[in-house]
Amino acid sequence: MPSTPSHQAHAKRIDRLMAFTISSGGLLIIGAVLAMLLFILKESLPLFIPPQSKALGTLQAPRSGGAWLDESGKTVVLLSRSEGLKALRASDGTPLPVPTDGPARPWRTFTALNARGESLVIGADGRLFLTRMSWSKPAGENDPAKWTLEPHWQGSLPMAKTPDEILHFRIIEGGGLGGASSLRVIARTREGLEWSETRLDGAMAPTWRPLPVAPFLHPSAAAWSLDGRDLFVGTREGRLLDLDPETGNVLSSSEFEEPIQSLGFALGQSSLLVGGAKGKLGAFQRVRVNDVFQLQAFHTFARLDGAVLGFQASQRDKRFLAWTDREAVVDHLTTERRMFSARLEGPGIAALAPRGDLILHANEATGALRLWSLDAPHPEVSFGLLWGKTHYEGYEKPEYVWQSTGGTDDFEPKFSLVPLLFGTLKGTLYAMLFAFPLAVLGALYTSQFATPRLKNAIKPTIEIMAALPSVVLGFLAGLVMAPLLEKMAVEIFVYPFMVLLLAIVIAPFWSRLPLPFRNAFGSGREVLWMVPVLLVGVWLAALAGPWFERVAMGGSYRTWLQTALGVTYDQRNCLVVGFAMGFAVIPIIFTISEDALSSVPKSLTSASLACGASPWQTAWRVVLPTASPGIFSATMVGLGRAIGETMIVLMATGNTPIMDWSPFNGMRTLSANIAVEIPEAPLHGTLYRVLFLAAFLLFILTFILNTVAELVRQRLRRRYESI
Amino acid sequence: MRRMTERLRQGGVFVWFSGTLLAFCLAMILCLVGFIAAKGMGYFWPSPLVQVQTPEGPVLGEITGQEPARGEETAKTQFRVGNRDIYGQDFRWLPTASLATPKCPKDALLIERLEYGPFIGRIVSLSHEGHLVATGPAAMSGALDRLPETNRVRRHIQSIEKGQVGDLNRRIERIRLARRKLETRGDIAALQALDTRTAQLQTTYDQVQTSLEQSRAEAKAWTLGLQTVDGQDKELPLGSVVRIVPANAMGLLDKLGVYLSRLWEFVADDPRESNTEGGIFPAIFGTVMMVLVMSVLVVPLGVITALYLREYARQGWLVRAVRVAVNNLAGVPSIVFGVFGLGFFVYGLGGSIDQLFFADSLPTPTYGTGGILWASLTLALLTVPVVVVATEEALGAVARSQREASLAMGATKWQTLWNVVIPSSTPGILTGLILAIARGAGEVAPLMLTGVVKLAPSMPLDGTFPFLHLDRKFMHLGFHIYDVGFQSPNSEAAKPMVFMASFLLLVVVVVLNLFALNLRRKLRARLGGSTF
Repeated sequence: MPSTPSHQAHAKRIDRLMAFTISSGGLLIIGAVLAMLLFILKESLPLFIPPQSKALGTLQAPRSGGAWLDESGKTVVLLSRSEGLKALRASDGTPLPVPTDGPARPWRTFTALNARGESLVIGADGRLFLTRMSWSKPAGENDPAKWTLEPHWQGSLPMAKTPDEILHFRIIEGGGLGGASSLRVIARTREGLEWSETRLDGAMAPTWRPLPVAPFLHPSAAAWSLDGRDLFVGTREGRLLDLDPETGNVLSSSEFEEPIQSLGFALGQSSLLVGGAKGKLGAFQRVRVNDVFQLQAFHTFARLDGAVLGFQASQRDKRFLAWTDREAVVDHLTTERRMFSARLEGPGIAALAPRGDLILHANEATGALRLWSLDAPHPEVSFGLLWGKTHYEGYEKPEYVWQSTGGTDDFEPKFSLVPLLFGTLKGTLYAMLFAFPLAVLGALYTSQFATPRLKNAIKPTIEIMAALPSVVLGFLAGLVMAPLLEKMAVEIFVYPFMVLLLAIVIAPFWSRLPLPFRNAFGSGREVLWMVPVLLVGVWLAALAGPWFERVAMGGSYRTWLQTALGVTYDQRNCLVVGFAMGFAVIPIIFTISEDALSSVPKSLTSASLACGASPWQTAWRVVLPTASPGIFSATMVGLGRAIGETMIVLMATGNTPIMDWSPFNGMRTLSANIAVEIPEAPLHGTLYRVLFLAAFLLFILTFILNTVAELVRQRLRRRYESI
Repeated sequence: MRRMTERLRQGGVFVWFSGTLLAFCLAMILCLVGFIAAKGMGYFWPSPLVQVQTPEGPVLGEITGQEPARGEETAKTQFRVGNRDIYGQDFRWLPTASLATPKCPKDALLIERLEYGPFIGRIVSLSHEGHLVATGPAAMSGALDRLPETNRVRRHIQSIEKGQVGDLNRRIERIRLARRKLETRGDIAALQALDTRTAQLQTTYDQVQTSLEQSRAEAKAWTLGLQTVDGQDKELPLGSVVRIVPANAMGLLDKLGVYLSRLWEFVADDPRESNTEGGIFPAIFGTVMMVLVMSVLVVPLGVITALYLREYARQGWLVRAVRVAVNNLAGVPSIVFGVFGLGFFVYGLGGSIDQLFFADSLPTPTYGTGGILWASLTLALLTVPVVVVATEEALGAVARSQREASLAMGATKWQTLWNVVIPSSTPGILTGLILAIARGAGEVAPLMLTGVVKLAPSMPLDGTFPFLHLDRKFMHLGFHIYDVGFQSPNSEAAKPMVFMASFLLLVVVVVLNLFALNLRRKLRARLGGSTF
């Protein structure tokens, strides 16, 4: 080809273009790693964004003593003694149509609207009504935003006596009298506390029954438990009582240290929220401790300014609203975090929308309605919850728990990463216990003692071992090894001792053999001689195992483990995982260690041997210490592999997130947890982000291990060069 | 005593000890590979049907396991008795002691069928459209004669169902989408044209259905009268029989024939009975496709990075950073790649592609859900370090004299690379690629998040335009092992399939690795010296 100037210029252009392409391609790799790291971090970071709130404005409305916000935040419902029930549009305050029936005005007494929009009202004529909210849905309209809210009235029961104040009521669906919904009311009357049970359809006349409380206690608030069988009563003396309403017996009690002003429930109606007259805020639960149900204080929240007047729970998660005359706050039950706080201009009633995203305050004196929005996508997660012990509903004490989903809507998600990290470390530990000695000593043998021919056979075999797909290892571990180990645990335990015994028996015979024979066939070929010994060991162990189990363990190792050590044996346990994962890790540690060991400069070993050291002494005292950074780096890389291994753990453990060092139970690791849960995690939900955080953690852990390994290896390489 | 301590100090014992540990490692590997090979390969060999008498009645089946006596437990034998539709279970454990002399009746049969696992028993009669045609031995030979024909009809039905019917369904679906778009625009003429097209397709569809019905009736015409060993009768249309194996009356050659035909079915057929029977062809095909797409992506990326590191980069912090990045890519757990693939490729990229190009079919995602493209991309990222390391090594092995000769001739750097360096490092690049393929074929965890399914209705490559469907979900050998072994309702009966699939995967991975290692050894011999 003629080399014309234009041709040359073309070639140069191409050269520059390719230089640019290749350089940018190389940088693309850094880009990819950084992108991975940052993307995973970016997806998990919103977990820690603090809740944002915004004041939305003020409306003028009739003065009221009860307020409620609907699901979509479009409608405000207000109650007042003189004006009855009013509904208005939240955006501009336009009045909306309300039912004209219902209790006669002015009302004698009524309760504040609860989270579902229910309130009990006794009208001027002494009849009892219940408000309920329903939705009117245009035909074929599936968009809830276009539905309209319709309050309606239920009941109209004649009451023999009008109480001074209705403290709390509960509708017990179906479980009450004759399968119909029943209504339990606790109220303060002239005679003290009285309660009644009735049916809303009027089939049962309400009668008031006294609730005896010790004379030195002065009840100030009361609330029914979820099933209506227990009544919680707070007193001015600061005692919280759990009473049986039928008998008045105190089932259990607890101290609150401040006069109790109000009681409420978080979502699920099992956590009792208690507000004090001086602003103390806490949560109690009935929990079984030593087989007895007790009232237990299990969360405390930051104090409020003034007496806590009321609560309203979100219907989506465990956040709740509490307010005083001077401030309104939204706290989260599980994390005890304050999500929202606002100063108020005067006494009034506050309300939290069922979704928990809107807060309303109706000023009693002026009738002004103030609205705030609250944006908190992941309130159920905090740094403390992920890494610390948390006291969950139904638990005796604070614990590390991972349980991301539950059967019911009011489930309290438990996102502690500690059990998962524990499982990861436990699996890694057992795998390394198994793999490390085998791999390092095997590598030492291969590099120092094996004949070259043997070495050439061993190394590819181990490399094949590295290539075994982990899903195959996991399958074998889970479906073949686990049942086998369960049946033959004792035999496998006895096996090493049998091999040792056999070696001790054979050794004297071997040392009697003439030295030239031993040198010619023994040295460098010990591996081959040991294979039959290992096989005979299997046979011996199969004989000795049942005998040992009978003699030393009384016939069944499981019972023995249970009685002597107090541990249970799960079929898919840590031993199986340790073995299978060890299998995956051995070749990694072996290969890198072997490289490091064989690269120890010949001058060092020759010097040692020349000074009269035996080959083993040379290997142990000279080669191993010199190459120890290489072995360290091999171990780090092996650790990285074991930490991230997914399929083996997924298939060979029961995937139960328990925290127990026993090698006979399973665990759940970070990686297996991701594989199990992420396919069901809704996009950008809390679980999704927590799993991304787990992935980030894995990334960082292995990043550190690999970087340390690489740095150590580079230093070693320089050291070898300098020798 | 002194001699003992001196011996210990010399450490001969420890050499033996470390040798033992190594022997243990090697024994483990060989046992594992041998065990899977034996279990997998042995399964298709027709084993004799053994009849024994128990107190509850006669039992006929294959002996599949033995358990020795232990403690209070007596020795037990496991029989595969089949007939899940009659007995409700495939396997039975019988105490070995209570088994009287086992017999191998010549007329005992194992019939593989489309549903309920195998039937084990005898053929009593053969009828055609309700009329008895033959009984006893004549029925059996008649059934054997008719079987190839009915199998052919069944294949025909399957191919129509999968090919024509599926194709028609897809076309109707496409028209429906087009309709939706036109309706929003209100183009009445085009809508009418579409309607006539739909009507045409519907007629074709009906015709195909009628011919299908005919074939199905044909397949159902012949029925077998069967009887189990304990005297229960069963009618089975010949059309749902896959294979009749009179295991006790077969010679070695016949058995070999059955073995090969089963092996072929395993490799080339679709799965049946929720993946516990039939073949795994879609899984093999999916694995191969995924690996191919991955290779197309990983080779340029890996080679360019290696070229940059070896040829272009000036040594400095940037190169160190790239090396750290490559090393970390190799060390980061595969599940993290899966998470990244799911978040970035599937939801991020896929979601955007859907909004830009496939907005009509939303909310049904096209690319915004797991698919073969995303799985391959994820695996390409995962395997890039393998290619980089191998390519770098090969680039380093190219003799300096060769480059200098090329440069001295006036070639530019790129010309030297392209014409001299890269051609002579092809074996290295190939090694890297093969190792990457082996790694990719065996990896499961990231695929579970990015597009593998237990049963894919259609392949990522087929006869409908645009032939290569990168958005489709696919089946994968490794995932198949996990799914059938651990998620299957009848995992005991599925175990042999899992062993077979494991064996296949193992063979593929090991052969690829051996090949690559061999290539690498040759390359290293040329380079000389160790690489540590």
